[in-house]
Amino acid sequence: MSEVLYYFLGFTAIYILMGWALYLPYRVGQLHFLIVACMAVTAYFGGFAAREWGWPFILLLLVGISIGAIIAFVFSQAIGKAPCFTVVIVGLTSVFIVKTVIENWELLGGTIGFFHIPTVKYLLPIIYILLLIVGFLIYKIDHSRLGRAASVVFVDREVAVSLGIDIKKLGMFFQIIACAIAGMAGILDAFFVNSVSPEFFTFSMISYLMCILFVGGYTTMWGVILSAFILQGIPLLFPSEVASWRQVIYGALLVIIILIRPEGLISRKMLWGLKPKFSFNNK
Amino acid sequence: MKKKNNILKIEHLSVTYGPIKAVKKVNLEVSQGEYVSLIGANGAGKTSLLKAILGIEKAEEGNILFLGEDISRKATDKIVSLGLCLIPEGHIIFSSMTVLENLQLGAYHNPSGFEENLQRVFTYFPILKKRSSQIAGTLSGGEQQMLSMGRALMSKPKLILVDEPSLGLAPKTVTEIFDILGELNREGYSILLAEQNAKKALESSHRCYVMKTGEVAITGFSSELIDDPQIRQAYLGGS
Amino acid sequence: MEIFIAQLISGIALGSIYVLLVTGFNLMLLVAKIIQFAYPQIVVISMYTCWGVLQLTDNKFLVILAGITVSIILSILSEPIFRKITSTQGVDINASFIASMGMAMIIMDVMSHSINYGFPVAFPPEWIGGNLLSFGLITVSKGQLYALMGGIIAVLIFFYLLYRTNQGRFFRAIAENRYAACLVGIPIIKTSIFSYFIVGVLGGITAILFSMLIGSASPWLGEFVALKMLAVSIVAGLGNLKGGLFCGLILGILEAMAMGYISGSWSNAIAFVVMLVIVLIKPQGLFGSRI
Ligand SMILES: Nc1ncnc2c1ncn2[C@@H]1O[C@H](COP(=O)(O)OP(=O)(O)OP(=O)(O)O)[C@@H](O)[C@H]1O
Ligand SMILES: [Mg+2]
Repeated sequence: MSEVLYYFLGFTAIYILMGWALYLPYRVGQLHFLIVACMAVTAYFGGFAAREWGWPFILLLLVGISIGAIIAFVFSQAIGKAPCFTVVIVGLTSVFIVKTVIENWELLGGTIGFFHIPTVKYLLPIIYILLLIVGFLIYKIDHSRLGRAASVVFVDREVAVSLGIDIKKLGMFFQIIACAIAGMAGILDAFFVNSVSPEFFTFSMISYLMCILFVGGYTTMWGVILSAFILQGIPLLFPSEVASWRQVIYGALLVIIILIRPEGLISRKMLWGLKPKFSFNNK
Repeated sequence: MKKKNNILKIEHLSVTYGPIKAVKKVNLEVSQGEYVSLIGANGAGKTSLLKAILGIEKAEEGNILFLGEDISRKATDKIVSLGLCLIPEGHIIFSSMTVLENLQLGAYHNPSGFEENLQRVFTYFPILKKRSSQIAGTLSGGEQQMLSMGRALMSKPKLILVDEPSLGLAPKTVTEIFDILGELNREGYSILLAEQNAKKALESSHRCYVMKTGEVAITGFSSELIDDPQIRQAYLGGS
Repeated sequence: MEIFIAQLISGIALGSIYVLLVTGFNLMLLVAKIIQFAYPQIVVISMYTCWGVLQLTDNKFLVILAGITVSIILSILSEPIFRKITSTQGVDINASFIASMGMAMIIMDVMSHSINYGFPVAFPPEWIGGNLLSFGLITVSKGQLYALMGGIIAVLIFFYLLYRTNQGRFFRAIAENRYAACLVGIPIIKTSIFSYFIVGVLGGITAILFSMLIGSASPWLGEFVALKMLAVSIVAGLGNLKGGLFCGLILGILEAMAMGYISGSWSNAIAFVVMLVIVLIKPQGLFGSRI
């Protein structure tokens, strides 16, 4: 497999995971950037533990998931049902604080980054198997009582409360799952790239994830998959002079999509539109 | 017959909210200096009709002529500047501002006559003068209703639309407010009043429209309708 | 003690910059019903404009004029986009945040690609002014003092306009109760367009004062400032103008003090830790949200 394709597939999968991690809390109307902080923490922890202490990949995967979940659990006590922009600012400041800590920590390589993380065999297939498992899990959540409750909360919190939905518990649930996924993505990222750098976990990462979620469509889990492939593909498809302006392209895409298709490329309405057709064909 | 001095003439007005038809092809007129009331059960479409006149809800079809000019496609601020105003249902005020600031905002389209209008409003509602530097949100419900009326009067309107001024107020305050409406009318203001309290509305107004599920069911002089057995049965509690 | 005084001066100057930013942001939020996350980027691009014009001329009046003009133009240009977004049925305030994030990405990338090869720009000494006071390593420059005075005056004037004039009252009326504002006949759309203009002016002034205070600008400055602006407005309570005034000033002083007593890169994180803790304890902000 060519190197370009290998990295394209690997990164796309990792970004799909992160896109889903952003998608889940947005089911209840929260933009949870804490996932980026979780990813940074586990990427560094995983890289360090693998290189210095020789911890195995599988163990680190489980540890990464737990770290993400624990961080989210602690934070969600306070912001389980907080308004969207409070959650936004909690995420943004955490990312910044984590970044500052990393940059000032000699042991972790400071601003230069942390290198020589051991390689894992068959990592790409493993990543895609994990992607399938996570995807299945999210599909199950979406089509459960919780998913339907989340849709009510998204549209109207007061109605949700009057229906007896515990908004805080629901928010906590989605935040914890999201950060667990992000924790896993962090470990995968560290082993996939064999290095981690604080440059990776910045505003541009956050805006990239926003692009993935909102260009693809935030009402279903499928939009993230579509847009992750498209957006990862843009720098590969275009000549490098164009590709170097990709932030502009992503930004413009974000503005355009909000203007002409606020629900993103794939929306739930669209999927509903498909459904009756299928059942019609079956008859 | 009295074609000439119509201040407001509504023709075939319909208002819809998605699938809900709130107002269906209503015709209605208010003459210069007239006091017209609009009664009907909950959800009859009174508020929707008033909002459509002021351009807050879009008129689906039909015309609204105000002083001979079609205002059905105009923006609310333009309509207000022509001399129409709405005293809304449920005392809508700027609650974190002072009473005086609320009244100043009412004079948006009539800043030149501010002092004179203010004195007039204070003679109608002496309580507002006493409370003029108080934060409006801390007024009592009745006082808030008066503030809402006073604010509307600050624009020196030619036609006042009033939506359920009696909502949630004690009988004594309701009487007070209806007295003021009557007084305003005697001073020459034209009034269109939407009201649940059919008895009060019929007693005070000249003419009345009865709305039923978005349509005008009955119309006539208030003094005649008040004795109509059908109306008594449906809106005045039988007796 | 000298350090304390010097840091207090730069802290208040920095704080008044934050106050201007947060106030502009809150005004957009209250009157135009949008989250203008790209506002700090507009400020930074006006700083770049000032720097560019300074390369050509040293006429300070022209520099100021250019900075303010660019800010106004960008602010007004964003208006049709935001109006389209807010007028679309069933779309909430988050949509404006997402779109403005896109705008911020565009502006940032343009700056890092095309201006000064993406390197930070430094303002010439004539613009910043020489040192006024110096206590050992700590100095207070003339620019800092200008920023301090300019910042305080701008904040005072702006709050005067907002609370004591008719136009300010119209803004507050729309912010407080759109329906009532509509009923008294305030033209909502026209007033909202005017608020973009005012925020543009405010952004230009902020840019000029900010450039005098820190003497440089970089493509990634905007993201940093955006984060602080959003954080202050959440800590104070979204849309709470007076709360923003208080919290902006406190943040500026806190940051300057941290810079005076704690080593470089950690000092920035201190302010964020404090804000994070406050937000976690009081998710609605210290003074309550107004939207
Ligand atoms: N914004 C809206 N969206 C959808 N439907 C609405 C809206 N406003 C009013 N309606 C519907 O239109 C109909 C008429 O409502 P309207 O408020 O005009 O009645 P009303 O006569 O003023 O009643 P009330 O005496 O209770 O105030 C009602 O069935 C109501 O549910
Ligand atoms: Mg009503």
